[in-house]
Amino acid sequence: MQAVDGVDLELFPGEIHALVGENGAGKSTLAAIAYGAVRPDEGTVTAAGVVGLVHQHFKLIERLRVWENVLLNREPRRGLTIDAAAARERVRALGEAYGLRVDPDAIVETLPVGIKQRVELLRELDREPAVLLLDEPTASLAPGEIASFFATVADLAARGTAILVVTHKLAEVVAYSARVTVMRAGAVVARHRTSDTSAEEIAREMVGGEVPALAARAERPVETLLEARGFCAVSGSSALIDAAFTVGAGEIVGVAGVEGNGQSALADALAGVVPFTGTLNLAGTPLRADEGPAGRLQRGVRVIPQDRRHEALVLDWNVRDNAVLGRQRVIPFARYDEAARELIARFDVRPPNPDAIAGMLSGGNQQKIVVGRALAGAPALVVAYQPTRGIDIGAAILVQSRLIEARNAGAGVLLISFELDEIFACADRILVLAQGRIAGTFTRATIDRGRIGSLMAGHP
Amino acid sequence: MSALVAGILAVLTLTLIKATPLIYAALGGVLSERSGVVNIGLEGILIAGAFTSVVVSGATGSPIAGACCGIVAGALLAAILAFGATRLGVDQIVAGTGLNIAALAAAAFGIVLVYHQPGATHEVPAFGRGGETALIVLAFAMAVLLHAVLNRTPWGLHVRACGEDPGAAEAAGIDALRTRFTAVVIGGAIASLGGVYLALAELDLYSDGMTAGRGFIALAAVIFGRWTPLGATGAALFFGFFSALQFSLQRAGIASELMQALPYLAAVVALAGFAGRVRAPASDGVPYLRS
Amino acid sequence: MTMRALLGGRTTRDLLVVVVLVFGVGSLAMLLAHVSPLDGFGALFDGAFGTREEVAETLVQTTNLLFPALGIAIAFRAGLFNIGAEGQLVLGGFAAGWLGAQIPLPAVLAVPMVLIAGTLAGGAWGAIPGFLRARFGANEVIATLMLNVIAVLLATYLVNGPLALPGSGASETPTLPHAAQLGDLVANSRLTWAFPIALVLAFALRWVLQRTVFGYELRAAGDAPEAAKRAGIDLGRTALVAMTLSGAMAGLGGATIVAGELHRFNTGLSPGYGFIAIAVALVGNLDPLWIVVAAFAFGVLQSGGIAMQAEAGVPRDVVSLVTGLVIIALAGRRVVATRRTT
Repeated sequence: MQAVDGVDLELFPGEIHALVGENGAGKSTLAAIAYGAVRPDEGTVTAAGVVGLVHQHFKLIERLRVWENVLLNREPRRGLTIDAAAARERVRALGEAYGLRVDPDAIVETLPVGIKQRVELLRELDREPAVLLLDEPTASLAPGEIASFFATVADLAARGTAILVVTHKLAEVVAYSARVTVMRAGAVVARHRTSDTSAEEIAREMVGGEVPALAARAERPVETLLEARGFCAVSGSSALIDAAFTVGAGEIVGVAGVEGNGQSALADALAGVVPFTGTLNLAGTPLRADEGPAGRLQRGVRVIPQDRRHEALVLDWNVRDNAVLGRQRVIPFARYDEAARELIARFDVRPPNPDAIAGMLSGGNQQKIVVGRALAGAPALVVAYQPTRGIDIGAAILVQSRLIEARNAGAGVLLISFELDEIFACADRILVLAQGRIAGTFTRATIDRGRIGSLMAGHP
Repeated sequence: MSALVAGILAVLTLTLIKATPLIYAALGGVLSERSGVVNIGLEGILIAGAFTSVVVSGATGSPIAGACCGIVAGALLAAILAFGATRLGVDQIVAGTGLNIAALAAAAFGIVLVYHQPGATHEVPAFGRGGETALIVLAFAMAVLLHAVLNRTPWGLHVRACGEDPGAAEAAGIDALRTRFTAVVIGGAIASLGGVYLALAELDLYSDGMTAGRGFIALAAVIFGRWTPLGATGAALFFGFFSALQFSLQRAGIASELMQALPYLAAVVALAGFAGRVRAPASDGVPYLRS
Repeated sequence: MTMRALLGGRTTRDLLVVVVLVFGVGSLAMLLAHVSPLDGFGALFDGAFGTREEVAETLVQTTNLLFPALGIAIAFRAGLFNIGAEGQLVLGGFAAGWLGAQIPLPAVLAVPMVLIAGTLAGGAWGAIPGFLRARFGANEVIATLMLNVIAVLLATYLVNGPLALPGSGASETPTLPHAAQLGDLVANSRLTWAFPIALVLAFALRWVLQRTVFGYELRAAGDAPEAAKRAGIDLGRTALVAMTLSGAMAGLGGATIVAGELHRFNTGLSPGYGFIAIAVALVGNLDPLWIVVAAFAFGVLQSGGIAMQAEAGVPRDVVSLVTGLVIIALAGRRVVATRRTT
């Protein structure tokens, strides 16, 4: 299948052009081709100047300084050495000029995600691009920060740069772009002036029909399943501080927050991958900080990790062996095949072949395996960390529906997601995580988008 | 001078002598690993440097010519590993191990071919006191130079970038594979001087197994030195000290094998103490495959 | 399927590379030694297959490579680089030779005792880097390399010093009593029951890797350590167990050399089997059954190489040189870098 098939795209200076499509539609590939990182098999790319690309997953070197990243391969020189003073000054001036101030000497890995994005942006701006491509630029921003981000982008456009924003967030497309191009399965299916269309129409064009429906949440009584008090944990650079919350059996608790505010610490501590301090009680009995993932699995805690390729699947193995991972001691060896087939059927894994190599499956199907085995065997607590990251809408709806069904059947689900819409669609209660602390709690009845956005940005 | 002072001076001098080949090898290892390529083949490069310099010195009568050719041999061997690591994306540890085995065998074969006797070459013109001292000083100078290059020059920054995140480096327009290749080859050239020193300064011939695992101790020195040139030099001195100690204690009558094992034991113990508390370059040992 | 993915490449292409290296580089080296490749390879193959006794000797070399190669495969499959098979083999041989010479037992007990002693000694030596890796996250590559050197020094020290036994020569133990020796399979040869034992172990290892939960978890730790950890697999314990088993297999190999061929321990008992076994394990794609085939191929080179040196005057180092090049060529592609995760 072609990643990108016969696409024509024109960008005009002074304009913000949105490129939309669901995961797997080919948007990022097209952006890479426009940037020049990927050579197309057919067709041409012409630009009236330098093309800059701000990647979805930053191409920053964590252990180097800001100025080293911004000016990499364009370092000011003095003789044979780098003129570090000139470099720092240039980055400082650049930050001032665009309203994106950063400390040039800071080591990138110490910076919060929003500031890292500034560094990524500065790197491209230093090249004075005529065209600037932004791939999912608001993925790591709090709702409040998105407006100021687009103000910066509009300013760039006003200076004459042609801007392409690759996104799947239709609200932003409608609010900020002048034109929109819709891709589906590698091809362009629609082009509009943004003012001539609507989010609903674009959504239908993205999916090629109606968006499938989410499973219904059943009315049901809720008893406390997980109780956390004074819960603190650290995982890498992610820290959770003094968290107190509950998750009930038969409810979905959504954890909203911008990436980098303690979600990984929360998920990893519950998974047993890192230790924690404080109290964590599951069904009345404490969870031990040192028991490790094996202990958690035995207690009925299942975690769907954020990175399926590196944290959940053995890409070289077949679907059968992957389907059993995590339960390899619970299921008798002779029954592995049977268990795998059951999972494939229940979660519509395609191709439905236990011998297929997991690494060859699409992201959506890989995620189905990961979610499927987490939900197998009626777990008590399911921690779903970005369960629909990078997968197509069909698979995403299926995953969310299965989580809701597990909730209906009595499991407690902790849904950690960077997509507010996902949380609003699935959760019974919402916790907001900001700077490692629980900043607020909401029920479906008391949802206040403005307040939640504000808390996510760190405003009390 | 009292006997104690003389004794201490002797140990210190011996430390420098024993450490010098380790310093060269470790510096080569640092440069290679900072660019992201683990060079297990340092042992083989030492062998190549030692053997080649001996043969050329014997043929031309000039130790300097021998040294130059030794450097070229080390660079060539490193180029094989560099090619495998960058263009083919092979497992660097396995390839390095193969390199060591091949180099040892090639040298043994070479001894028979050139000198018609197995085991060791004839004695050849070697560096005198002056040359030996120059090589020792050069080792320390090299450490300072490498420190400056890595931390102050553009190329050094590019090398460090490739070692941390070759994908990001390429996004900035750096050819990560070529940078790594160059770093490994230059590292091999530096390391081979360790073999040259062993063969033409400390001794004046090449014999089978002469390098005795120094290339591996140098790898340990790279880790304890936290992948920095100055740190690795310090670690190399530390291991050299144990070698020197072994010599002195042997004369005191303690079993020779236990003393010979000292530097290797030190490496293992230090590994246990240090490992996990130091961070290698993030992409060290991970082949970069352009998709 | 997994092993091939671990090493990348198609097996037929890899085999082609091996053949080209062996015959190409080998011929080049022979020419340098002023020997025609026809004579050189002729002597090699004649030496490997010429007579019944020579075939038996080829199988002896096969066996000596097979034990450490299986051990290396266990470690590699678990994501650990055991470069220390040589040292584990030497200490296994030492334990076998020393105990066997001391303790008089009837054959039915003596032989198992000797073999078990070697297995335990090798296992203990493998456990050291395994423990360092499990507990401290220490790099097992350097640890095993260092321990190789230490092992030989230790064995030499012990056999000449505190554990020296009467009636022994320098750096060796006295001859094993007949009861402790492995029985010959072919008269006038050094081929013993060690060969079938190795074959059985190869099949057993394959079964364990593919058909048991233990094998499943070991392979997961090697192929995807982060995912394995989150699936409840204890990576530290896996590292320790894998390295111990790896060393034990190599140690058993050393014991069979002592009990079967040399009938005594000698510090020179291995011409680098522990290193050649790395090539064997790689050519065999880390699959125990293919390793048997690879061990045979390298066994031919080893036994033929001796004849090649004696008859045609080509130094045996050519064989080691080609072996090293094969290792480089078959280093393959690791999809997962597992070196520093615990």
